[in-house]
Amino acid sequence: MKDPNSCPAVFTPKSIAFLDNLMNRQLKQAAMNFSRIFKKRFSLPLVLTNGFRQLKMKRLNLYLPKYSLPSALADGLLTLKCSALFLLFSLTFFVLNPTHAADLKVCKTCDYKTVTSAVNAAKPHDRILVQKGYYTESNIQIKKPVQLIGVGKPVIDAKNKGGIFQVETRHVVIKGFELQNVEVSYMRDYSAIKVYEGAHVTITDNHIKNAFFGIYLQRTDSCTVSRNIVEGEARTETTSGNAIHLWYSDFIKISDNKTSGHRDGIYLEFAKRCTIKDNLSFGNIRYGLHFMFSDGNVYTHNTFRNNGAGVAVMYTRDIVMKHNTFEHNWGPAAYGLLLKDISRSTISNNRFIKNTAGIYMEGSTYLHIEKNTFQGNGWALRVLSSCSEDTFRLNNFMSNTFDVSTNANSASNYFSHNYWDKYEGYDLNKDKIGDVPYRPVSLFSLVVERVPSSIMFLRSFIVDLMDRMEKVIPSFTPEMLKDDSPVLRQYAYDHA
Amino acid sequence: MKTLFLLLSLPFFALLLSGCEAKQQPIPYGQANCTHCQMTVSDKRYASELVLKTGKALYFDASECMIKYLEDNADAKEKAKMFLVTDFNTPEKLIDADKAIFLQSKNLPSPMGMFLTAFTNRAAATEMQEKNGGRILTWNETVQAVKRNERPE
Repeated sequence: MKDPNSCPAVFTPKSIAFLDNLMNRQLKQAAMNFSRIFKKRFSLPLVLTNGFRQLKMKRLNLYLPKYSLPSALADGLLTLKCSALFLLFSLTFFVLNPTHAADLKVCKTCDYKTVTSAVNAAKPHDRILVQKGYYTESNIQIKKPVQLIGVGKPVIDAKNKGGIFQVETRHVVIKGFELQNVEVSYMRDYSAIKVYEGAHVTITDNHIKNAFFGIYLQRTDSCTVSRNIVEGEARTETTSGNAIHLWYSDFIKISDNKTSGHRDGIYLEFAKRCTIKDNLSFGNIRYGLHFMFSDGNVYTHNTFRNNGAGVAVMYTRDIVMKHNTFEHNWGPAAYGLLLKDISRSTISNNRFIKNTAGIYMEGSTYLHIEKNTFQGNGWALRVLSSCSEDTFRLNNFMSNTFDVSTNANSASNYFSHNYWDKYEGYDLNKDKIGDVPYRPVSLFSLVVERVPSSIMFLRSFIVDLMDRMEKVIPSFTPEMLKDDSPVLRQYAYDHA
Repeated sequence: MKTLFLLLSLPFFALLLSGCEAKQQPIPYGQANCTHCQMTVSDKRYASELVLKTGKALYFDASECMIKYLEDNADAKEKAKMFLVTDFNTPEKLIDADKAIFLQSKNLPSPMGMFLTAFTNRAAATEMQEKNGGRILTWNETVQAVKRNERPE
């Protein structure tokens, strides 16, 4: 402890205070030296090295060999610049940084009994450690950068009075809480965690139960939402909000969350350049993932299961959807994926399993739909009017009732190199590609498109006969809608 | 006795007749898809309905969707009998669109991104405008605003 340059082994509050003091004193000296050198810099270059040596002795412990004068000068200047930078950096570090930040504990026997009181008392960059327990609090306003950390999953219960956390600043962390019972309202979007005009807010490892809205980001950017579980009670569509809701928020990362029992699992409106990865969204009343007017988003490796109507992507462009699983979305108005007015997007390596319609698309153009597997769906694809310039390549179509249905006569969409399990052609030249084109639109699917109730004749003899006839002499099905190069063997994709 | 029977059966006949008449139908929230955008109609504050002369009702999740639908389907206007929107203050209650007063405010996002909220009268709309800002529009002005894709900001 006596040698000021040695590092104390134990950081007790006392030793920290001592160090702090010491550092300040030394910094002050260094700064004084620096200013003295700086003043003389132009009049007396020789002093530079001199001054630098002083610096070296006092604070920096930098090695300065005894060069010849000119090179030493040059060297000294360079090092001085570096050291000046270092000094500036360390000064800002000491002025702004959280070395002084305190830990505020919240528990029944601590100084702070409620989270609200700790938040009010905290200074910027403090940490608030909420200990295990049950707190009845709501509408906690956070207007300074603090870290809120739950130790042992403390429960905060809003008792149906408003929301819980409302963040209106940057650099906030909310981690490890269990948040419950947020008020349902027609007029206000009460949420367990709401970020309003904030940025760089991190929301992780929380468990949100029975909230109106779970995590709500409004006019934010660069936030992270990860490893949260948001569970709703799946009442009616109007009395449950969205689990994760983004509105005018850009550059948001949403990963490893589990959302269920809400209106929409993940909802984006006017949100750009977001990444949605490794989430599980199931049992939501409407959509697992829903976005509108949100360009340039990427979503990969998510699972959307058993939601009221699957996933909807509407009125957007430049979307990348890869390695997702869309499964078990059944219902008269359900889809694995609903595409409405979207363009220039890529949908690849996804699995569509057991949905009423794998992909339902309307008004969608310039899409690349590749390397997906469609299995056990009512319709694998429903390509409705005004879809054009879409490419379907290298997909697997297996045990779907209908592979493709359409209501348009001339469709300018391209199918090639897909595997169709219903293909009955031959391959005489053994290139593993069928020699006759495959027409994925059956006559009966056209009939069903016109008269939905005719579905009751499915698998009847007359329908089979009709489809056979159409295959032999195509006359009603769209002439252009065909796969000229159907592959004979199923692709083995690793979708995970 | 005969007259009593006739009298009793009158409401029954009236019911039969009214069945043929085009009238507003309750919106099956959570089940119907919006005719224009295919989204499930769910928000009871914003849904709208178009009743055709045949009595068939088309449901929309927002007023802007009904307007866009009318724009895309030129013949729908002639077939239509009633245009209905929801009064924001009494969710699930449908009112005549051309009598409704609309507020377009950036603080009241409607389901399809046009920020349109309908009210039964100007007083209610003004009251909400004082709290949330924005501009007040009549039905015709709203139709024009949607056509020009005018959003607040």
